Amino acid sequence: MNGQNHTHEPVAGDDGGELDPREAAALLDQTTRGARRRLDPHPPLLMFGASLVILVAYGTVWLSVRNQHPYNGPTPTALAVLYSTIAAWATFVVVIRKRATSGISGRSEMRRRREGIAFAIVWAVVYVFQGALHHAGASHAIVYGIYPASAPLVIVGGAAATYEAAREDWEWAGFACAAVVLGAVAAYTGPASVWGVIGIGAAVLLFARAGTRTWLHR
Amino acid sequence: MAAPLSAQELDPLIHVPARLRIVATLAALPDGDALSFPRLQDMIGLTPGNLITHLRKLEEAGYVDTEKTGNGSASRTSIALTRAGRSAFETYTEALRGLLGGL
Repeated sequence: MNGQNHTHEPVAGDDGGELDPREAAALLDQTTRGARRRLDPHPPLLMFGASLVILVAYGTVWLSVRNQHPYNGPTPTALAVLYSTIAAWATFVVVIRKRATSGISGRSEMRRRREGIAFAIVWAVVYVFQGALHHAGASHAIVYGIYPASAPLVIVGGAAATYEAAREDWEWAGFACAAVVLGAVAAYTGPASVWGVIGIGAAVLLFARAGTRTWLHR
Repeated sequence: MAAPLSAQELDPLIHVPARLRIVATLAALPDGDALSFPRLQDMIGLTPGNLITHLRKLEEAGYVDTEKTGNGSASRTSIALTRAGRSAFETYTEALRGLLGGL
């Protein structure tokens, strides 16, 4: 075992003294909540952050396209804001997840790796398909408006909903289904409004999900 | 009607503050996962010596399984709750719940 050179330290009162059942229940509850919070790879803080990021990223794009007639697509500045906020958030996610899962090995470590690969492929396919739409001569409204705004929610959200339902994690499956519905409905609002509708809708969804998790883990 | 439980009926191996915290922390992991010694120590807040002593008692009872990989400074010890340990923890929490309901 690590730290074997410390084995001669005294163990406080052998076993820590008498433990009243009420104290035991309180200690058990406190320890379980604390452990779940520290081992949680999706802490509420991450989702509060995500709600802010999506509001800023999609909101910036919406501001750049809202008066375009005909629709040309987001300006380079808006795209820079979109991608840099998403990249910053992705870095933050990696740091938080690494901290939560540090020291954990076993079945879920393998599962997380496979999960990561599968979702990276699904994300990549979203943009490969966008290239196909452009190649086929689809309009700017589709290729640089409706599709890039709503397809990530519909495609990645659909994959996530199926995965979470298979794991019988109904909280996450429900959240993913809500994202799919938001993406599909927002697509009807047009190439400019879709950015604003998804920006606000997804931010509300994430905020609500973070609030629910905070309440459940309080 | 079943006789009310007494505190003596709680598993004495778990019904100790330090070991209760160790077992509850390991039970928070998904089945089949293990926690490294330093992470467990960080989460429990015990000295390495105390943690080792309590882990030995739990290991002797078959409640936890420790696995050492690597050698020297690169060695790493992982601790997991065994099936028997998880079952004992569930029995303990049920007994505790029953006891408090009866108080």
